[in-house]
Amino acid sequence: MRALHTAATGMMAQELNVQVISNNIANVRTTGYKRQRVHFQDLLYENFRRAGTATSDQNTQAPAGSFVGSGVKTVSTGRVMGQGNLSPTEKDYDLAIRGEGFFKVRMPDGRTGYSRDGSFDLDAQGQLVTRDGYLVDPGITIPQNAKSVSVNAQGTVQITVPGQAAPQDVGQLQLARFINKVGLESIGDNFFVETAASGPAIDGVGGGEGFGTLQQGHLEEGNVNAVTELSSLIAAQRAYEMNSKVITASDQMMSATSQMFRG
Amino acid sequence: MFGVVIALGSVEATTENRETKSVENALLVGLSRQIALARELDVIANNVANISTNGFKARSARFAEYLSPTASGETFQKPDRRISFVQDRGTPIDLSGGMIERTGNPLDTAIKGEGFYVVRTAGGERYTRAGSFDINSRGELVTQTGQPVMGENGPIVFGPNESNAQISQDGTVTTAQGERGKLRLVRFADPTTLRNEGTNMFSSPTPATPIGPLAKLETGAVERSNVKPIIEMSRLVELQRTYASIAGMISKTDELRRTAIQRLADVQS
Repeated sequence: MRALHTAATGMMAQELNVQVISNNIANVRTTGYKRQRVHFQDLLYENFRRAGTATSDQNTQAPAGSFVGSGVKTVSTGRVMGQGNLSPTEKDYDLAIRGEGFFKVRMPDGRTGYSRDGSFDLDAQGQLVTRDGYLVDPGITIPQNAKSVSVNAQGTVQITVPGQAAPQDVGQLQLARFINKVGLESIGDNFFVETAASGPAIDGVGGGEGFGTLQQGHLEEGNVNAVTELSSLIAAQRAYEMNSKVITASDQMMSATSQMFRG
Repeated sequence: MFGVVIALGSVEATTENRETKSVENALLVGLSRQIALARELDVIANNVANISTNGFKARSARFAEYLSPTASGETFQKPDRRISFVQDRGTPIDLSGGMIERTGNPLDTAIKGEGFYVVRTAGGERYTRAGSFDINSRGELVTQTGQPVMGENGPIVFGPNESNAQISQDGTVTTAQGERGKLRLVRFADPTTLRNEGTNMFSSPTPATPIGPLAKLETGAVERSNVKPIIEMSRLVELQRTYASIAGMISKTDELRRTAIQRLADVQS
């Protein structure tokens, strides 16, 4: 019976849906998290009776064909790259991007990681690093005698040192953007890496053409909406149940068939 | 050739014609209904499986009566009766709009009312209602499977530095740098002839006509599947019960035949 397998594809799809929703809910407080969304598509159809075939020798035609589909498949679990809320933290090294762009981070394996999480700190050498201790690209070193640090909307890092009135530049933060940012691969730890689908990174600075601006002392919250996720969770759960009902029905029909003749 | 008229679930036989052949007909009529019901179950299963598929259009099953041909001879004592079997006739498509769900994604658009987006594939033009688009690495507006979505003048392409891509209510695609084209929206004179091609797409045996200025899009939203869970579930229950009752009828017919064989074989000593 085809219905059994069709309903099984439906149950698997809803199971994945629940997995993605629960991951979104788990990351509701993750800085710079971008929620995921599952896209489904219908599977192949079998055509038992083609629309437009002749139904008599009087030139009459079948108006509608007979198509029986074979279920559903997951096509993508793309991220929704919408802006998250900026929450103030009053920390000098917390940065948020308002608009498009990613921070560039040198990963220990030599790759460049891209992240929306701008919760940075200094390491023992005074270099700007992520929470995992990875260097921010391009490297920015804050001298030990710096009294205060400010990052402007363009990403220019300036410090004031005791005894000097004018602030001095110590570096310029760079941002990267992608023509298809949904095509980036998530590798955990709030990082994305470039793929063939995302296209190469386009470097720039805050406020440049197509780039967002930086906001010091703020962090970008995850863009998960808890209410939407919970209502999707309920819908997914019910859809799962309905698919299981189809399986029960086809099972009972097969059982009715096998019990028709008592030998 | 004597037959019996059989209504579904009951055998009505004329007294003279109660012979083995009519019992076999009852089996076959029951079987034709069971095959049709199994087909309907497949259709329901596909609808329920696609309850979360954007732009999915449900199908239902339609059946027709098939009357067997009768003997044309006039010499029979009783005129020959026709037997009606069940035959599946088609799975008409339900083109009603699905629920429009707001997603806030600027490249998600739902068509209000009739119309389809045009997608270019290797097999020719395909039509879809699933309006959740993305931009690929070459900057083209594509569907979730990566096929380019057609604008009125070919695919819609964005430059690498363009931001803030938006689709307006009439299908015009703009970015911060200006207009990038207009989505091509089409309609069909007879959309019931659309063929399902899988991956949320349809093909059409008849050419599509532009929808013109009537096109209206809801932006930042997607059209969900138009499967109505209550209808599918009640059809499922109905189908299950009908199937069981026919199975009961077939086994009763079988018992009837067995009893007949036993009684007839009883030789009076």
